[in-house]
This record gives sequence, C-alpha cells and structure tokens, in this order.
Amino acid sequence: MKTRQGTVAVELTVNGEKRVAAAEPRMLLTDFLRHGLGLTGTHVGCEQGVCGACTVLVDGQPARACLTFAVQVEGGCVDTVEGMAEPGALSDVQQAFRAEHGLQCGFCTPGMLASTEALLQENPDPTDDEIREYLSGNVCRCTGYQGIIAAVRRVANERKAASRDA
Amino acid sequence: MLHAAFVRSPHAHARIVAVDPSEALALDGVVAVYTAKDLDWLAPMVSTGPMREGVVAQSRTPLATDVSRHVGDPVAVVLARSPYLAEDGRDLVEVEWEPLPPVLDPLAALEPGATLVDEALGTNNISHLEQSVGEVEEAFAEADHVTRIRFHSGRSTAAPIECRGVVAEYEDRAGGRYNVHSSTQMPHLLRMLMAPVLGVPEGRLSIKAPDVGGAFGLKCSVFPEDIVIPAVARLAGRPVKWIEDRWEDLAAGVHSKDMHCTMEIAAKADGTMTAFRGHFVTDSGAYSSIPFTPLVDSQVAGVYLSSCYGVQNVAYAVDNPLTNKCQIGAVRGVGWVPGQLAREVAIDELARALEKDPVELRLQNMIGPEVYTTPFGQTYDGGSYTASLEKARDSVDYAAFRERQAKAREEGRYLGVGFSPFVEPTGWATSSAAAGGLPNGFFDTASVTVEPDGSVTVTTGLHSHGQGHETTLAQVTADELGVPMESVRIVFGDTDTSVFGMGTYASRSAVLGFGSIHESAVQVKDRLVRLAGAMLEADHTDIELVDGVANVKGVPGKSVPLQQIALFGYFGGPARPDDVQRDGLTATSGYNPGETYANGCGAAVVEVDVRTGLVTIEQLVAVEDCGVVLNPTIVKGQVAGALANGIGIALLEDLAYEDNGEFVSGSLLHYLYPSTTEVPDLTLHTIETPSAVSAGGVKGVGEAGTISAPAAIVNAVMDALSPFGVVVEKTPMTPEYLRELLRAAESNGSAPARH
Repeated sequence: MKTRQGTVAVELTVNGEKRVAAAEPRMLLTDFLRHGLGLTGTHVGCEQGVCGACTVLVDGQPARACLTFAVQVEGGCVDTVEGMAEPGALSDVQQAFRAEHGLQCGFCTPGMLASTEALLQENPDPTDDEIREYLSGNVCRCTGYQGIIAAVRRVANERKAASRDA
Repeated sequence: MLHAAFVRSPHAHARIVAVDPSEALALDGVVAVYTAKDLDWLAPMVSTGPMREGVVAQSRTPLATDVSRHVGDPVAVVLARSPYLAEDGRDLVEVEWEPLPPVLDPLAALEPGATLVDEALGTNNISHLEQSVGEVEEAFAEADHVTRIRFHSGRSTAAPIECRGVVAEYEDRAGGRYNVHSSTQMPHLLRMLMAPVLGVPEGRLSIKAPDVGGAFGLKCSVFPEDIVIPAVARLAGRPVKWIEDRWEDLAAGVHSKDMHCTMEIAAKADGTMTAFRGHFVTDSGAYSSIPFTPLVDSQVAGVYLSSCYGVQNVAYAVDNPLTNKCQIGAVRGVGWVPGQLAREVAIDELARALEKDPVELRLQNMIGPEVYTTPFGQTYDGGSYTASLEKARDSVDYAAFRERQAKAREEGRYLGVGFSPFVEPTGWATSSAAAGGLPNGFFDTASVTVEPDGSVTVTTGLHSHGQGHETTLAQVTADELGVPMESVRIVFGDTDTSVFGMGTYASRSAVLGFGSIHESAVQVKDRLVRLAGAMLEADHTDIELVDGVANVKGVPGKSVPLQQIALFGYFGGPARPDDVQRDGLTATSGYNPGETYANGCGAAVVEVDVRTGLVTIEQLVAVEDCGVVLNPTIVKGQVAGALANGIGIALLEDLAYEDNGEFVSGSLLHYLYPSTTEVPDLTLHTIETPSAVSAGGVKGVGEAGTISAPAAIVNAVMDALSPFGVVVEKTPMTPEYLRELLRAAESNGSAPARH
C-alpha cells in the first residue's frame, strides 16, 4: 500500500509464532495486531493509554498497545489474549474470570487478563490491596470490579494450591 | 472498504463560512470529502419522541449546514483508504469559521432576549412541562417547616469502554438496500428512525449489532454518524467504516444528568412531610436527542418525585433550555439520578433542621409494602420500601457507627453516613411509559422454536451488551420448556433475523424478555406435551418435560426424548394435532406488561479528609428488590456495576466546558471514572417482593445502583462535614470543590478547630 510515510516490514513473535507484516512507521501496535495480523482480541478503548483495554504483554511486560508503535517491537515477543489458551479452551485466568462473573460486555477483558497474568508473574500471592493497585490502570465500566478482584484472588489461590500439591 | 473521519467544530457556536476540501482531496489515499451540501437529498433528523403540548420538535441535518452548535459538531466527512489517511485528510480540510457568542448558562438561556442556539425554533426552551396534584400551595402555606435546597447534578456520560461504530454498504440493485453494522442497543428502533432520513422503506435497511462493548443507554440514541456513514457509502459506491475515537465519544456522543434542581419540602413539626415541589432545568445541549429528547432527564426527575414516600401534594416544573454543548440523552439512571439527589439531599436537610434522625424521618413518611398509587398516578406493584431502608441501616451498623463517628470527630477525622431509598420504574412498556409521562407504546416479542433435533432457538428484539441475556433468557426458556439450558440459543441484534423488538434500555429486558419468551414457550410446550402424549399413549395432562425428556407422571420408564418428539412434530404425518401440522413447533408472542417498579436502598459510609477534600468510601451498601431474581450472579453484577457508576457521578465524572465553550474533558485523563482503587468491596443484599403484575413476578435491575449511590454518598459527605456547616450543592464532589466549601467555612469561623 502506498502511503505518506511508506511502509516497513515488521517481524515479531506473536503468541509464540513468527509473524511478518507491513506497517507504516506510525502504525500503532493495536492496529498492527488487529488489522495487520487479524488478531482482533486486543481491544481499543481510548488510544490515550488510560483505559487499559489494549494491554498486551511485550517481552513479558504489560504494555499499552495503543501507545506503542508496531516498529518498536520489531524482533520482540508479543502475547495477546488469543495466545492464552488453545482454541476452545480457557486458561486458568480466563476460567476464573468466567467463574467469578469478572466480565459483562467483555470489552475490557483482554487487557484485564493480560494485566492479571503480569501481576501474578510478579507477585504470585497478592493481597486484595495489591490486586486493586495493580489493576487500577485497567478500567471496566460494567462490573464494578467485584468479580474481577475475586477472579484474580481465585487464580492466585488455585496456583498456590497447585504448587503445594506438586 | 473506505474509512471515515469527521471534521468537527472546534467552536461552541460558529457560522460555517466556507469549507475547502481541496488540500485534503489532493492527498494520495483520500477518496472523497462530503459536506452537508452533498447530503441535501436526506430528510432532516427530527426529534419526535414524546411530542405533546409544551414540547418543541427540533430538526437538524446530520452534518451542520450553516452553523455549528457545539464543540465536536460534525461539519464534513473525509473518506480514505485507511483510518490514518482519513485523519490526515481531516486535518487538511480548511473550514472558515465565524465564531458566534456561545450560550453556556442554561438559566440565562431561559431569559428573554438570550442568544438562540437554534434560531429556527424561536426559543431556547424546547420543553416546559408542569404538573401539580393535591393542595401543594396550601401545604406549603400551612407547613411548620419548609426546606428548600438547590442542587446541580453534574454533567456525566456513559463512556462505555468500546466507543461507537458504524460500518455501512449500499447495494445498488433491486431498488437499493443499506446494510449497516452498528453498535446500537436497539436495532429495530434504529432502523425505524434511520429509514425515513435515508429515504428508504425499513425493508431496505438492515441493522446488525452483534457484540457491543457496553452501552449504558448511550447507544440507544440516533446519532448523525448513523445517517452519514450509510449515506456516504451510497455516494462513494463502496463500504465505509467509522469507528468513534474517545474524544468524539466524550465531546459529541450524548451527555447526561446536567440538571439544575430546586427542591422544596413542606413538613409538620413532627416530621410528617406534606408536600414536595421541584423545578428541574436540564442543560440540554445543542440538539434535542433522538428519540428520547432531554426530557429523558428532566421529566423523569419530576414525574416520579414522590418516590417511596406517602406525600400526597406534589408539584414539579421542568425546562429544557438548549445550550452550545453536547446534546443530553439517555444514560443509565437518566433523570432519576438528579431527581433522587434533589429529594434525598433535601430530606437529610429537613432532618438536620428538625433535629431528627434521617433514617427515622424517612421511615415515618414511607408507604407500605402493598400496591400503591402515587399522586401522579403511577401504580407500584408492591415493594419492600421500609424493609430495604432498615436492611441498609443495619448493614452499616448504624448505632455503632454514630459512636464511631463521634469518637473520630474528637480525633479530627470526619466520617459520615448517608441513605438513599429509591423506587425505579422498570420493564418499560406501554403502561409504565404512560405513567412516566411518555405517550408512546412499548412492547416486545419473542419467537421460540424447537428445531427438528430438539434444540431450541429463541429470537428477540431485545439486545445484550453485557447484561448476559444469552444466559438469563436461555435459563427462562429452559425452565419453561423443561429442556437443558445448553440446548437453547438466543438470537438477537439483527433486524433481518430477529422478531421486532424495542431494544434494551430502561431496565426493561428482564421483564419483557421473561414475559415474551414465557408466552411463546407456553404454547410450544403445550404442543410438545400433546405430541408426547400421542407417542406414549398417555393423556397429555400426565406428561411432564424434564431436562429434555418427556415422562408419564408416575410411570417409571415410560418416556421419550425431546429429539424424538420434535422429529415427530415436524414429520409425524396425520397422527399429529392439527395446530402442530399447521404451525410446527414455533410460537411468537408479544408481551406488554403492567407497570413494574423495583425498589431498594443505598447507604454509604465515607471519610472526608478535610485538609485535602478527598472522599474515601469506606462502605457502600445496596439493598435491591427487583422482584423474583432470575439469576443472582447477574443481578449482583448489574448492581455492582451500577454502584460504581454512581460513585463516579458522585465524586469524579465531570464533562467540563470553559467559559468560552471550549470542551476540556476530551480524554479519559480528564474525564475520570472509577477504577479498582475507587470502588470498595460492595455490600450487596437482595429482598424479593414478587411483582403483583409481571409474568413470573420479575422486575428490572439495570439502573438501581446508579440511582441510589450518588445521593447516599452526597448525604454521607454532608453528614461527615456537618460540624463545618457546609452545604454541598453539586456533584461531582471533587476535592477542589469540597476544599472550596471548607475554606469558606474556615474563614467565616463555622469550622471546628483544627487538630
């Protein structure tokens, strides 16, 4: 596609798979994932870096895909909601959100899931206050957060129990 | 597919002298630029909602023609090969503006000689309504005490995490046809309202709204973009996609609840409230929103004024001045929120004046649990008015709280508690709309089909955008038919495949969905048991359907699975009952229930840091009575989300305009809403008073928490700050605002000494 800025090939690993697609230097990672690679699970809520709906993991760290240019992650690893579980299955975090009614419209959910994964990597046994603090950058307009906090607590407890049993 | 970007007014009020698209059109990738002139073949958009005497219809073009009337008003649209290029093109469209004086103060807008927002109307006040029942003047004249407050409910909006979007194509064959993907919450009403503007019969317009990322009422208006995108898709001969950005959502969607309220209560010395009188002025913005108009705020604040109190003398007046701001439309809780704020804040003020306990004062004046007709003629279908307040009181451990509060004050800490009992009209149908002053018909239909393999398909014109209808409506169907819930599929959100329906808003879908599905499922079930009776050689009255299997009651082993019954129903030849041979296993029924009213009570315990003005919510309680609960998890989820919204309204959410009309809340950095750190663990209780009128005793629940929470929080803050004698007169109660009140109290000596 001919554009004002021209395009470059961006190569990165998405959900463990090498992907290459063309992008203008100004193309946001959200648009690259959604329209370049067809991974529409990453949602766009504000393009201002505030709502957190577009949160993905870049090299294991949570990042706002709406404040990241695709070219910035050249050669890096991006994990999106599509990679959390095999098709037809749910990850433990997804399962917990479902069990605790941690979503209603579901639009904020991919970002919530990414932030939850990152939180539990950093801090496998967070207190409720720590959960609230960590997730305060992901807003949800539907749930009032009750089910979300409960879901994170549930996964943490399940993982703790599983590692005890192991 | 082409992508659209709108050129929007940076001015509150300005004449459009000229639009020059030449630089934009010169940009490679920009395909077209259209202005109002290119769309002059469209019929105007007219706000014709609840028209009657005292209400002025307003007509507009989807793109501003000569005058832009608020920041964000669309004046041109750019089509390009990518959204990036469309925005590049948008920035290159040259508009010559001649700024006009903006109308920003709604009260000044009502004055004679005020600048007109829409000169064609000859007035800024697009609706003035008043109603009075009983002996209001006499009650005020004879009162031992009159409380009079002013309250400005702030300007907020839904701001769902997913913004709006429209994708449209025009098929230029067979007379022409528009196919539109939309983020609407009312596909059929949107089609009905769009078709005449586009100049096509409804059969040549299809609306699909499959998954919608939150709506909260905002997506039940008809917006200019809903018209412009299909129209330019037709002009360009290619599909066009427009996805709203957050600035557009905040500046040019709908705003809500911006209401200047005056509330008066007449009372006897013993605390008996004898009259309510309210005046509700909605800062209506530049356009009368379609279809509900700003009366969706002001009028409902007035018409339900008596709420759960037995006051018999009630009067209200409402005015809807246009201003050069974004239009006011329906958003969760609508005008019930300001109405609730005005009344409940005034009742607390009355309690302070009479030195009475605010809970006791409310209990003293409350109606009983039985069916009750209000002075304005709403007939409540029974409710737990006093029980809800008592439950809320006990949930905050009221007596112990007062001791804790006194002790904290000695330490210079200011805790407060506030209560907010409410009645919420739900299940919006013809009778409830009429009782609310909206002379329009509302009903819904559902179609239930048992397919040949025994699975069940339900189509409904209701819509789900987070309410979980796929769950609750499947549950209702499964219960009625006696089939596993997993075998039921709910189809909605497509005017081509769903039966006609009014859509989802106004806490109506539990009632209307239950009723319409129930009515249809009863008919299908009747056919199924007769078929099973024939197959099992038993009387059909002896057949019971459980979990997808028909059994003969009391005869173990004599059973037939639904799959076989269905197959027999479709292809069983003359052995089948006549109506099954004719109608198969499909039934479609409508439902138009009587008036249903949920009720409940909010309570808030807060601490105010008087040095910073920051309010911390220690506890937020919701006692909810939505009749028979269909699904406790979903009810709790609805209440919790609504309460969070209420916290935002009380403390955070503010769509602000500068004195020159510039809009300064265009991002989520500026328009704040509650995050995990502002919403505490919520205390949720349920009381079930089955509706005396609706199928299954069901009432709605979607807006309750948003209605109750703001008044509870304001009352709690006023209670906390009562030693300072400050009077809160608006929401949101930002730290800045509370510090302003506290500074005034400190400088006039009414504040207690600092610790």
